[in-house]
Amino acid sequence: MSDKISRRNFLKVVAGSGVLGFGVMATGCKGKPSGGEGWVSGQYEGKGDFPVNLKGRVAISKLNPSIERDDEKCILCGQCVDACKNVMGVYGNFPLPLKQEVACVHCGQCVMQCPSGAITEKSHVQKVLDAIDDDTKHVVVQTAPATKVSLGEEFGMPQGTSIGKKMVGALKAAGFDSVFDTCFAADLTIMEEAAEFVHRLTEKKDEIPHLTSCCPGWVKYCEYFYPELMHNLSTCKSPQNMLGATIKSFYANKVGIDPANIVNVSIMPCTAKKFEIAREELQVDDQRDMDFVLTTRELAVLLKKKGINLNNVPDEEYDSVLGESTGAGRIFGATGGVTEAAVRTAYYFATGTNPPADLLSWTPVRGMKAVKEATASIPGVGSVNIAVCHGLENARKLLDGVKANGSKWQFIEFMACPGGCIGGGGQPKAMDAIGAKQKRIEAIYKEDVVSEKRCSHDNGEIQFVYKNFFGKPLSEKAEKYLHTTFVDRHSRLFD
Amino acid sequence: MAVLVDITKCIGCEGCTVACKRYNQLNFKAKPRNVKDGRVELDDNRWTVIQEFQGKDKDKLRFVKKQCLHCLEPACASACFSKAIQKDKKTGAVVYYPDLCVGCRYCLVACPYSIPKYQWEEQFPQVSKCQMCSERQTNGDAPVCVAACTTGALTSGTREELLKKAHEIIDSDPRYVKHIYGEHEVGGAEWLYISDVPFEELGFKTVSDTPVTDYTKSYLSKVPGFAAAWALFLTGLAVYNHRVEKNRKANDEDEQGKEE
Repeated sequence: MSDKISRRNFLKVVAGSGVLGFGVMATGCKGKPSGGEGWVSGQYEGKGDFPVNLKGRVAISKLNPSIERDDEKCILCGQCVDACKNVMGVYGNFPLPLKQEVACVHCGQCVMQCPSGAITEKSHVQKVLDAIDDDTKHVVVQTAPATKVSLGEEFGMPQGTSIGKKMVGALKAAGFDSVFDTCFAADLTIMEEAAEFVHRLTEKKDEIPHLTSCCPGWVKYCEYFYPELMHNLSTCKSPQNMLGATIKSFYANKVGIDPANIVNVSIMPCTAKKFEIAREELQVDDQRDMDFVLTTRELAVLLKKKGINLNNVPDEEYDSVLGESTGAGRIFGATGGVTEAAVRTAYYFATGTNPPADLLSWTPVRGMKAVKEATASIPGVGSVNIAVCHGLENARKLLDGVKANGSKWQFIEFMACPGGCIGGGGQPKAMDAIGAKQKRIEAIYKEDVVSEKRCSHDNGEIQFVYKNFFGKPLSEKAEKYLHTTFVDRHSRLFD
Repeated sequence: MAVLVDITKCIGCEGCTVACKRYNQLNFKAKPRNVKDGRVELDDNRWTVIQEFQGKDKDKLRFVKKQCLHCLEPACASACFSKAIQKDKKTGAVVYYPDLCVGCRYCLVACPYSIPKYQWEEQFPQVSKCQMCSERQTNGDAPVCVAACTTGALTSGTREELLKKAHEIIDSDPRYVKHIYGEHEVGGAEWLYISDVPFEELGFKTVSDTPVTDYTKSYLSKVPGFAAAWALFLTGLAVYNHRVEKNRKANDEDEQGKEE
């Protein structure tokens, strides 16, 4: 009988718990509401209108070809907004409401500033590894000048260690079929760009000031915000794409490989290059100039995946015939480098002789000053006023001045990232970012000084390629493979 | 506290969704449970989402923040018989108390916007929805999503204040649609939206201005009184019967006594 409950007792229990429940509720004991257990940083205490220096984050579209973000790592610190707005002049410089897209020049400076590693490049590592494993593909790799002075940092070497030849050894060990030098392509760019500049100076004066176009971040910035200056941009492709187009035409023909079976990979200090290779204009004869871009950081990942320690790799030489480089090509990685290299060769084109010593160590265009000015006197052409600008917020200020007052310069070099490519968005991260940039710049100029040839036109392989393929700078063939057009993107942001 | 969403100012950074997940300790790794037309919808680990719309000619890129609108007359709260969802009188937030919830999920059905979601994969599941950071609001802080918004797309304040501001904006700027979503929808909500693209094109549901609770209020409000009266009636009946029985027994006993 004891395990049975009488009807009366049952009703007592039910009614009692009902009364208890009602009592608990009436006295306000309803427990805690759900949520609110987590943490947000101190910036977000208050109404949200308290003026803090840094807050929020930049918008990164899922379609962005260069960068992506892992929300789980994002702490909303606002560093990316700082980079995008104050260094690059993108965030906050387009009108709201949005039109077609959220402006991004893919520079990757937000990646560099992100302290929690939430923003990264969109990795091509696996795709490149797959291409290497595919026996039907001939995988060609090229290395940018700025990566040669920074890759070592990923393997514990001191900042500013030049490891160009070790990198060649490592890339060969990793299974790439040929290793070429983007510095060679930089020399090629200088041949074209210096010729174009001299041509503009003497004949097409409406295209002066001549604006450089080797930085994809800057080019997209110009397309977005200064479409009226697009005809001033040099029509030269960037060195990366010049080499890509040359590999899939001249080189493919030379070694007898179907260009469709060539996979062009580049090692770049840059995330914007990943956007650049996807540009529709950058293909010749239905062949994409470039297939994949690895940032310096990604290359370190790839090498480590393959078990290759850069410290233990023997030096090797770049493959011929697209592997020789001069000092002029090597300094492309630093702000002012393109200008200095171009002036050396422009001097030669105008006078037929190599430039004097002061133009070979042209200090006014070197260093980290936001806008550097210099004047080069070239016999026969006269004095050429030159400006060198890095960091796109600086570029905005400079160009607003040019728009308002006209340009007192005939040649302006723009690099999106502070310091030029050595401070690019794909470079190894350093606790001491400014010191790292200085040391990389020093290393780059040291490479120039020690090189046997200092001017692009002295490059023997460049001369060979012109003799056997392109003819001369600005020839019809050179225009086809080495020059490009630009896209007006102004209307994607502005009414 | 109410929130005004100016859709024209959102750039889609999704900082608000990250702030929400962090503050409410939601799972970042959870895969989206509901995806409609390529847009992620709310689920138990997403109390707020940003949805992208491109416009007819792909030249009006808009991002719409979706979360509980915190109705003035919440249907979910009225459907909840265990009082697990309550409208907080001070903050205006419609708050869910898991300790009171019995898991019936009537609120999921009741909500005209299909906002409340359920933790289908938990062993002891709860309902989950935006709480409008009710605890932050008690301290005088704005909801964390509002605090995280850098472009000014989200602003918080009292409902009257924000309605006034919203009217000023849509009256002075001809680009805006002359409608404040949330002002009258199902009786009004704490979250108000203004936009330059018609709301129907941005995935907003067209709902009636009548609060959902109004449809049942007329008769459901009489239920407690009716129940009490009915109980009283039955008690009376029982007492009466009891008494009749007692009297009859007493009479019987008297009669028996007389016979003896």
